[in-house]
Amino acid sequence: MRHLRWLLVPILVVPLGWLLFTGFGRDPREVASPLIGQPAPEWTLSTLDGDLLSTDDLAGRPYVVNFWASWCIPACVDEHPVLAAAHDRHGDAMTMVGVLYQDTTADAEAFLARYGDAGYPHLVDPDGRLAIDFGVTGPPETFFVDADGIIRDKQFGPLTDALMDERLASIGFDR
Amino acid sequence: MRRLLPAVALGGLLALLAVGLVFALRPGVEPSAAERADALARELRCPDCQGLSVADSPTRSAQEIRRQISSLVAGGAGDEEVRGHFVARYGEWILLAPSSPAYWVIPFAVVAAAAAGLVAWLARRRPAVADSVVISDEQRRSLHDEVEALDA
Repeated sequence: MRHLRWLLVPILVVPLGWLLFTGFGRDPREVASPLIGQPAPEWTLSTLDGDLLSTDDLAGRPYVVNFWASWCIPACVDEHPVLAAAHDRHGDAMTMVGVLYQDTTADAEAFLARYGDAGYPHLVDPDGRLAIDFGVTGPPETFFVDADGIIRDKQFGPLTDALMDERLASIGFDR
Repeated sequence: MRRLLPAVALGGLLALLAVGLVFALRPGVEPSAAERADALARELRCPDCQGLSVADSPTRSAQEIRRQISSLVAGGAGDEEVRGHFVARYGEWILLAPSSPAYWVIPFAVVAAAAAGLVAWLARRRPAVADSVVISDEQRRSLHDEVEALDA
């Protein structure tokens, strides 16, 4: 019976160790977004090309909002072809929209010139208001909005082709 | 030792009560809009920093959040409304302190429980130690002789 007391040590230490281990392996900013299931924020912003674009222009179609920056290396460079491929494949049924996150238009244009411009619009968000409305903590973050304007899924960190397919399924695109 | 347990628990409770009273009885001066905005900025996490509040950070997000707090406060929003504005976007994560004051009790409760456990454990352990050193007079005498022999 006295030996049973020593069982207390692993009973206390193991869960604590597990908590620390999983805690350190995770990005503390990767929190479940309260926006999933909520209507997407509305915006009217100018694009890199100088046109005005607003949520009204996208009404009735699913769209994908990708927050990125030219200084977000390598994550934004890695996911750039994934976004371009999704735009090529589904561009006629949904809209891909990039949003500059704390970046200058000159740097963003240089990034697109270097890594390829897939042809979808990029919003300039000068005071970061749209990023705050979407609860963005750092690029890349990508939101998937369905045809009714409801946010259905969010990707924290770079997208891969597999993740893109999984997230797109949430707004009605079968794999 | 066991008799000390209620005294320790009562002492802890009284200390908590005193702290609560001091906070509750602090003089209530109505803060200005700028003071309220600043206090709220100190409660909110800067979204693109590591462990800094919005008040302490120079990033563009922090600047924009400070601007939004000021305009919400100027528009007549209450503190809870301002917090809610950002919690709706970022979740509870944006709050540097937990929203429910009940959470503050947890560390005190854990420390109190651990202290009570330690006291109870020590109290139970003491008699066992005392029993083991009881020796007969004969043994005591022979021990004494042995020590004397070593000293000689």
